[in-house]
Amino acid sequence: MARGKTKSAKKRNKGLSYVKFGYLFIAPFVIVYTIFSFYPLLTTFWYSGSNMTSTKAKFWGFDHQEAYYDQFLDLSEFYGDDFEEQVGITKMEYLTLRYYFQAQTSALENDPLSGKGIKALQEAIDQGKLEGVSADTCAKLNQAIAEKNLALLDNDALKELKDWRSNYVDDTLTITNQLMRISTNLKLLANPEIEDEEDSSDEEAITAASIIESDDFTAFIETLKTEEFSDGTVMLMDYLAKAVGYEDLVTYFTDVQNGSVAVEDSSFYFVCTNLNSPKAVDAEGESIDGVSVPFLSKVKTYLSTSEWPNFITSLNTYEKLNDYANRKIDLHNGEEDLLADLTTLYESGLINNVQLVEEGGKLVQAQDKSQNIIYAMKAYIDENYQSDATLSFSSSQLSKIDAYLQNQGRGMLVALGYDNVDTYIEFSDSLEESDINIDKYLQFKTDIGLLDVLTYDKYLELDANFKAARVEEASAKLAEAEAALPEAQAAFDAVAGQEGTDEYEAANNALIAANIEIERQTDKVNNPKGLLQQVNAKAKYVFVGTENFNKIFTNKTRFNSVFGSFANTAILWILGVIPQILLALILSAWFTDTKIKLKGLNLMKALMYLPNVITAVTVAIFFRRVFAYSTGASRSASQLVLEMFGHPEGYNFFASAWATRFIIAFINFWMWYGNTMITLIAGISAISESLYESAQIDGANTFQTYTLITLPLLRPILLYTMVTSLIGGLQMFDIPQNINVNPALINFNGSMIRSTRTVLMYINQQAFGMQDLKQVGIASAVSILLFFTTTILSVIIFYLMRDKDAIKAQQAKKKAKKEAALKNG
Amino acid sequence: MANDSENKNENISENISENVNEAVAEATETVEKEVTEAVEAATEAKEEAKEEVKPSAKKADKEPKLRSNSAAKRAYAALVYIVVAFFAILAIIPFVYMFCNATWDSGSITSSFKLWPNFANGINQAKQNYHTLTSRATFSFSDGFKNSMIISICSTLLTVYFSALTAYGLKCYEFKGRNVVYAIIVGVMMVPTAVNITGYYRLMNTMGLVDNKLSLIIPAIAAPNTVFFIKQYLDSSFSLDIVEASRIDGAGEFYTFNRISLPIMVPAIATQAIFSFLGSWNNFFAPSILLNKTSNKTLPLMVSELYGDRFVDYGAIYFGLSMSVLPVVIIYCFLQRFIISGVAAGGVKE
Repeated sequence: MARGKTKSAKKRNKGLSYVKFGYLFIAPFVIVYTIFSFYPLLTTFWYSGSNMTSTKAKFWGFDHQEAYYDQFLDLSEFYGDDFEEQVGITKMEYLTLRYYFQAQTSALENDPLSGKGIKALQEAIDQGKLEGVSADTCAKLNQAIAEKNLALLDNDALKELKDWRSNYVDDTLTITNQLMRISTNLKLLANPEIEDEEDSSDEEAITAASIIESDDFTAFIETLKTEEFSDGTVMLMDYLAKAVGYEDLVTYFTDVQNGSVAVEDSSFYFVCTNLNSPKAVDAEGESIDGVSVPFLSKVKTYLSTSEWPNFITSLNTYEKLNDYANRKIDLHNGEEDLLADLTTLYESGLINNVQLVEEGGKLVQAQDKSQNIIYAMKAYIDENYQSDATLSFSSSQLSKIDAYLQNQGRGMLVALGYDNVDTYIEFSDSLEESDINIDKYLQFKTDIGLLDVLTYDKYLELDANFKAARVEEASAKLAEAEAALPEAQAAFDAVAGQEGTDEYEAANNALIAANIEIERQTDKVNNPKGLLQQVNAKAKYVFVGTENFNKIFTNKTRFNSVFGSFANTAILWILGVIPQILLALILSAWFTDTKIKLKGLNLMKALMYLPNVITAVTVAIFFRRVFAYSTGASRSASQLVLEMFGHPEGYNFFASAWATRFIIAFINFWMWYGNTMITLIAGISAISESLYESAQIDGANTFQTYTLITLPLLRPILLYTMVTSLIGGLQMFDIPQNINVNPALINFNGSMIRSTRTVLMYINQQAFGMQDLKQVGIASAVSILLFFTTTILSVIIFYLMRDKDAIKAQQAKKKAKKEAALKNG
Repeated sequence: MANDSENKNENISENISENVNEAVAEATETVEKEVTEAVEAATEAKEEAKEEVKPSAKKADKEPKLRSNSAAKRAYAALVYIVVAFFAILAIIPFVYMFCNATWDSGSITSSFKLWPNFANGINQAKQNYHTLTSRATFSFSDGFKNSMIISICSTLLTVYFSALTAYGLKCYEFKGRNVVYAIIVGVMMVPTAVNITGYYRLMNTMGLVDNKLSLIIPAIAAPNTVFFIKQYLDSSFSLDIVEASRIDGAGEFYTFNRISLPIMVPAIATQAIFSFLGSWNNFFAPSILLNKTSNKTLPLMVSELYGDRFVDYGAIYFGLSMSVLPVVIIYCFLQRFIISGVAAGGVKE
């Protein structure tokens, strides 16, 4: 836009009054970018230097939103030297206060002569429920309770009470304990990652290698040989055996132990890849889907085809499934194993909470809830194993008395300043009156104005009020839900028998939803959440300098994880980008080759670019399905194709880390070569035609023209392609995440997905993946590493691909100018 | 470049638009046919391809400067055609497979390899697959579609309007620091967008926008790539004289922008709108972190749940995948010319 000087000057003068609009026009962009991109980037930097493990704590009693007392959250771990400034009291005082509450709670829990239990015990004595306990003993016990002096119980009386307690079996307690044990085992089995990523540097990650090297593995092999299995082993083996037979598995594991098979061997990978493939084939060659089969009739077939019942004792109890459903078998007679197995199956997603039944050739959710095996068993336990509350409490109270007399509870009371522990004082009633040194803490609390807020009684009162409010709320909802049930039932009855229609489905779903709602609210009424579960601790971000980076670089496990994810990203990107650029170069050369004059150029471009616009997630899921592997009758596309070429056994691609990497790289290549090609074609088209003509006149052949004219002039475009591809490649997430997002793999052993875990997947997992433990500091630190890696690599690419001739020419020009200036000067 | 087969491209679009209902089968079929027509049967056999290229080869022979003999050239051209056709087919074959299998039942899919739709009972089976998918899934595709639409459309509108505004501001007003702002915008294009995710999540948490579509819509106002592209367009084909004229006529600055300059920018805005829409539609990383409630999830999030082994009905899976691809394929069929010219102009962000 060459204009006269005067004109442009005029324009500028005129424009001056409008200049302020320029700021106005760019203001939205600048503001939004600053708030939503730049500020988060800065905070990410800040977080990378902060220790900000956010904890979902359960606490009460707070001032300035900090917990003074909290069962799970210790503020002294959060604050360093600035503790007093942040919390308001000295660390020592805080710890003392905290200890006081802890001790008080524990003492109350262990109090041998107060509370619910003692009332239950008195009641049991009154009603004569304590079988085998003599009247004499009962009298002594009553006296001891009344006088709060346990010394009144002599050895004989005590022995009698202890005998009664050891003979007493609390059904509910037993079964609950069993359930809790199962649940704990399952959680441990399902989430080794949480422990693995925890901070302690001596805890090694659970990897394939560590399993095989560990004693656990030796024990596991031993167990395999002896055929005596713990629940955990059974679960593990059941998982492992889904795809391979027992013999193969034992052989394989033995081989691994002998060192004849490598750890990253494909079969180990295979075993783990197929952990969550509940597919088996029955006698007729039909595939059985563990999720959808009518449970009772087919689960046995399903399990028998996996060849395990022969080897695992507890699984034989599936024989008795029908008996359970018919309530013929007593669950209590050592049959917890069955429940354990069922829970395992349920937790691993093999069976549904709601039973599916076949109706009119379609699987639908069973209406009759009593048919639901888990539900039935729960109901059965509830009905038949409600233990006597009085006896149950009495039993636990006797345990407390026993523990107290054996000095277990004594320590608590001694710590609280009771010197005369043997003559028991009901301390919680007489706390304020006693002359113990706890007084000074009370005084302290009064001084800092926390007495009203923080007394234990105050807490109990608040808690009770809170629970009552919750119960009231839930009761109202329950009534509402119960009122809505008949309507849903009527709607369902109206369309009963019309299975398969939309109306039927809708009514069916509504009815199920109504029932679930009633159950949920009933649960809320029965087990209201207390205050302790309500207040979430505010995560505290404390600047810790380079601690996060230190953790990454000094903790071997974490370094391997982080470095591994960077290496994986690099491998995946390089594997994809090299063929992508080569092919794009070739295709763009052909498409612009005037000698061939390819027809249908636009169509080709359109077709080749198509994969790039499709959702990457869809593509990943599609390829995951195509390359899936199944030993059953249902075969994936890759298996079918291999079968056509004479490999009926197929190949399990996702069993191998490298095959998976190649698949991901292929997808990236496939999605992006069209894009690169179009960019390059545009670049080539921009090169002046006359250059080619003169080259032709000079007698250059096609290859020479290409290497000497096209490629050098294409350098900026190639640079652009490389840099954008690098920035995108380092942020690779959608495809590896979805191609390897196998819940069983992640849950069973986090190490399995590591061969394709990219940086972003790692950040995502650290910052958002885990339920209880969010390592935001680590995630931010890795983000910052990613940021700098990108910058450095971009600069390197710029440097490597810089136009040396142009730079030289420029320098020469400058030099000439200088010289000219010197001459003139 | 040559526009030989532009008509053919239009044919594709027309064919598909004619019958959107059967587009699953139609699109892929048509595309396949068109490929065959376009390269004139070069896909099937070498001989055919050779015959086809003869005319062009002969034409080339007449050119005096050519040194290679015609036979070698013909072979070379045939090779080129075969390779090009191979990659063209490679690009679409997964979609053909996906769409075709959406019309088969799981048993047929897993027992033999099929690259053709279920002619006999395809529509009924597709309906059946749809029922299987919706009855087994814990999510609803219509919800995902709706959420994706809301987020994509809103963020696209915000992106193009405010980017145009920013680019126009940078172009038309010589305010202090203009060049610095522009340089910064170009610079931040290089910053990987995902690195600030932890900070962004915390910010959204503080603002109470987690699990809220706004958290994905509002940031669309600031799109450096789009600003850059529109600024390039303005630099090359926008004359400030129009603004001057408008000012002389007494129009306000925002009136000038909205009524006069914005229409002129339409070509650039349209291209960027397409890319912005596709980018937002395909986005997975940020939604997967920010949206937790099932009712809020976007289509890619729903699709990613098709992985779980709870789904073993291949017909339903392929149906679900096809459903998620179909809108994009339809948009692509209509707008591919703009898209490709946009890519060629380097306006695509990775």
